[in-house]
This record gives sequence, structure tokens and C-alpha cells, in this order.
Amino acid sequence: MSRKVKANILSITISLLVTILLTSLLLIVIGKNPMQIYSMLIGEVFGTGYGFGQALFKATPLIICGCGLALCFQASLFNIGAEGQLNIGAFVMSVIAYTFDDYLGLMVIPAAIAGGFAASALWGLIPAFLKIKRGVSEVITTIMMNFIALALVNYLLIEFLAVKSTVRTEKILETAFIPKLSEYSSLFQGSSANITLFVAILLAILMYFIFYRTRYGYEIRSVGLNPVASRYLGVKTNRVILWSFLIGAGLTSFVGINFIFGYKGYYEFGFSNNLGFTSIAVTLLAKNNPIGIIFTALLFGVLDYGGLAVNTAVPKEIMLVFQALVILSILAVDKAVKIYYLKEE
Amino acid sequence: MIESILSLTFLAQVLRMFTPYYLGASAANFSERGGVINIAIEGFMIISAFSYAFFTLSFGNPFLSLILSVIVSLLFSFLYAFLTIKLKINQIVTGVGFNLLMAGTAKFLMMLVYQSSSNTPNFQQIPGLPFVSDIPVIGKVAGDYIILSGFALVFISQYVLFRTRFGLRLRSVGENPEAAETLGVKVRLYKMYGVLVCGALSALGGIWLASNQSSFSDGMIAGRGYIAIAAMIIGKWKPVNIFLACLMFAFFEGLEITLQISGSFLPSQIIQMLPYLITILVLIGFIGKTKPPAADGIPY
Repeated sequence: MSRKVKANILSITISLLVTILLTSLLLIVIGKNPMQIYSMLIGEVFGTGYGFGQALFKATPLIICGCGLALCFQASLFNIGAEGQLNIGAFVMSVIAYTFDDYLGLMVIPAAIAGGFAASALWGLIPAFLKIKRGVSEVITTIMMNFIALALVNYLLIEFLAVKSTVRTEKILETAFIPKLSEYSSLFQGSSANITLFVAILLAILMYFIFYRTRYGYEIRSVGLNPVASRYLGVKTNRVILWSFLIGAGLTSFVGINFIFGYKGYYEFGFSNNLGFTSIAVTLLAKNNPIGIIFTALLFGVLDYGGLAVNTAVPKEIMLVFQALVILSILAVDKAVKIYYLKEE
Repeated sequence: MIESILSLTFLAQVLRMFTPYYLGASAANFSERGGVINIAIEGFMIISAFSYAFFTLSFGNPFLSLILSVIVSLLFSFLYAFLTIKLKINQIVTGVGFNLLMAGTAKFLMMLVYQSSSNTPNFQQIPGLPFVSDIPVIGKVAGDYIILSGFALVFISQYVLFRTRFGLRLRSVGENPEAAETLGVKVRLYKMYGVLVCGALSALGGIWLASNQSSFSDGMIAGRGYIAIAAMIIGKWKPVNIFLACLMFAFFEGLEITLQISGSFLPSQIIQMLPYLITILVLIGFIGKTKPPAADGIPY
């Protein structure tokens, strides 16, 4: 194992421990017994098939969105706009799915997925284009475009497409739903986990392969580490930035598969519930490594459902605090490991 | 329609909306003039709005609560400064983390203390200036300490940034830290001052929103921290231009509210988009050239 890999494992472990410690302190301060809360959480999530299924269901979109973000982050593109990109994509996906199901039958599923991907990618094209052509930082543009995306979707829903007195689109055909895990194993009885989970895991494996085993991945990472040097080595930097942004943004739309085809059957305003931001935490914690993202997404999925499980003892919002502390501690611990273990600075 | 826009009520509305934008935008400006990007203004506003609600519901004294909430925001700002300046961690990512932390903490504590996921109980607003507050229509605005401070801040920040030794040093640290250091300026200390001023000013914005609404509710900051950053960019990091940008955004928001009441030709979502669309147009260079401080966002 290289020293770099050891350093990564070290910093992930320490930051998780730091986060657990800080959360425990917070629990003690408010007069709760941390051990009791944790055992409640673990008992509920890992003790019942339903609980575990729900954690997998919550982890699925985090894996997908995390993979899209990893593609941007590997190229050092700070895409803060996943929230907007995925809402645009999922919205278009559902509109295609219920509009064309009469003509296309089940072929409407790939058509809707392709349409959603294209819409999200198009939304990512704008900041990518501005970065390449005008040198505008993608951070500000993606933040601004989050708000534009949400307002636009809200406008289209309320003025034209929403089912009366709701903020959701029409439902897709019953036959277009994709199978739930509970149809294969009674273990997951009643949980919403569906085969999108496997799509997500395959996506992560594919991304891992691209990043570390292909020329494209090598170019993406070299642009991320040093764009100027990459250009001298013959990498077409702008092309790498453009495609990473397009595909990265496009991939975020796949969270719609889980929600629309796997769960509700329609797009609902607010369904993402800050998913685009939580995914940033998931991706950072995994150090932009897609295989790592599967595990960090699972951790966040467990926390997400676990919050509901412990809600009787302590407000479930404690998990929001936990997730935020994970990001901040991985950032700080990473620096410490760089200085004291890798002796880099 | 036109009458409702030309009225004093509308003017008062715009001036009220202006206040949190300008406090937030000046906050962002002090931080970025020192070379530290802070996209966590939204989070700072959230945590200070909640703190204000908590303190005033617990102690009842609005001015004491105001001071305590500013202190809470300063503590978080100090942590932000430590991570981004001392440890030189990427400022964008730290900002995202802080936004999640402060929004999550406020939600958690609201549920814990008030058993509600939507809002705290109501409390008294910060009392206004005596006599002035009793003037009809505009009295509430003209007698509001924080609104008045917001207007004073236009002159104060212009003066502090461009006419004092502190301002000169702060700007030098944001433009060229190496040169500043050779001249004996304590670079990291000044960057920290910038971040702390930012924390205090954004706290005032959050406190004003909570006091004005007489409660804290989930989602009440509603992206104002980001609009503040947008106003700073459009205002090209200059206090007077930022003032005009904030006034424009406040006009849009006032318009949105008025149109919702009086029936509209433009849907409110389109007006909501305008600040962000204009910002992108400015960044592209359609509306004049913008130039951030040269060393903005680069750790030193």
C-alpha cells in the first residue's frame, strides 16, 4: 500500500472519529446518552430489513450524484450547482416519461433517462462555457444557476404542468415502474430500495475504471492537478473541462431514476432536499474516489434513515449536524495528515 | 399597479428589503477585500437569526440578545478564519461545509428547544427610535436602528476601506499579500479581521430579518446570503456600487411582493430569477467589466 493510500485511510478514519466524538459531546451537553442513541440507530438500521433497505434507498441518489460531482472535482471544477442540475434533469425526465408513454410504451424509460441527462448536461454547459470562454469562476455561476433552475422548474410546474393544487407532475404508467428489491427478497419488505441501487454501483465502478485505468481519466486528473503543465504535455485542457462538466452535470440527473421510476412515479418540487449539497460532502469524504463514494454514500444513507429511527429520543436534525461536521473535520484532518504524516508542507 | 409602486408604502418596503442585502453584501466585501472568499454568508445569517430568536425568547432583552447573537456569529467566523487562513483549507469547500453546519444546527436546536421544525414562538421586535417610529407609513423604517445602520454603512465602509490605514492594509492583503508582508503588514491577521467584520455584519442582517418577522422560521433567509454575494460582484467590490446593486435587488423583491398582491403580468418566479440572471450577465462582461481583488480566494 502506498504512503498516499495509507494517508487517505488515516485521514478518513480520524475525521470520522472526530465527528463521532463531537456529536457525542453535543448529545451529552443536551443531556442524552450517546451510546444509547448510537445503539438505537444501529439496531434500527441493521436490525431490520426494512431499515437497511431504506438506508440503501437513501444512499442510491448520493452515489449517483457523488459520481457526477467526482468527475468535476477530479478536474478541479468546483461544481456547486448539482442541486440545480439534478432538478432540471429529473423534471425533464418525468415530463418525457408521462407525455410519451402512449407512443413509446416501455421504451419511454430510456428516452426519459436520455432526455433528463441531456437537460442536466445542458444546464452544466453554461458554467463550463463561461469558464472556458470568459474565465468566469464556475463557483459563482453554478451557485447562481441553482436558484435559476429551481425558480424555472417551479414556474413551469405551477403555470403549466403540475397536477392541480400540487407541486408535482403527472404520474407515469404503472408498467413503467422499475422493480423494487423487495420483489426479489422478502428481507427488504416494504422498503423503497429499488434496482437503481445496482445502476448506481455499476456507475461508480465504471467511473473508477475511467478515472484510474484510461487515458481520459489520466487527462482529467492531470488537468485537476495542474492545468498549465497538462497543456504543455499536450492535453487539450478546455476540452477536458467542457466534457467533465457536461457529463458530470448530466449524471446528476440519474437521481431521477431512483425517485421517479423507482419510487413515486412523478417529479415533485423539493424532492431533492439539498441532495446536491449533501453529495458534495459524500464526494469529499471519499476523496473523489468512486468506489469510496459507494461507502460514504452508504454511511450518509444510514445516518439519513437513522435520524428518523432515533427521532423519538433526539431530533433527527442531529444527523444534519453530523454530516456537516464530517465535511469540516475531513478538511481539517486532511491538512494535519499532510503536514505531520506526509510531511508535505 | 403603477400607483402601488409609486407609493410611500412601496418605498418603505424596498428600504426594508434593502437592509439585509446590504449588510450581507458589505460583509462579503470586507472578507473578499482581504482575499478570503466567504460563501457561507447565508449560514452566518441563519445561525445569527436563530441565536437572536433564542436569546430574546430566553432573556427578553432585545439589545443584549443582539450583542450575544453577534458574538455567536463571531465565534463561528473565528473558526472559519482558522480553517481557511491558518490551515489554508479551500475556502469554497469550507464555505459549503459551514452553510450545512449552521443551517443544520439551527434546525436541530429549534426542534430541541421549541419542538417545531418550522418556526419558533413569536417575540417582540427590536424597539425603534423614540418619536421617529411613530410617524405614519415610513416611521417603522426611519426609526429602525439596523436599517439606519445599513445606510450609515455605505459611508462607513467607503471611508474605512479607502481612507484609513486599516482599509489600506486590508486591501493590500487582498491584492498582493507578498508585497504587503514585505512592508510589514501582518497578512494573516488582517485576513482574519476581514472575516470577523464579515461575520458581525452578516449577523446584523440575520438578526434584522428575525426581529422584523418577530420569529425565526426554517428557510426564512431564503438565499439572501447568496444574493448579497451577487450584489457584491455586480457592485464590483465598491461600497457605493454595491449599495446601488442592493437597492436594485430590493426593488425587485418589493415588486414581487406588490405584484403578488395586486395581480401581475409577470410571474413571481421570473422576478425571483432576475438577481441571479443579472449577476451571470455581469460576470460574462455584458454589463461592464468586473475585477475581484487580485489575490481573492488564494490562501497565504
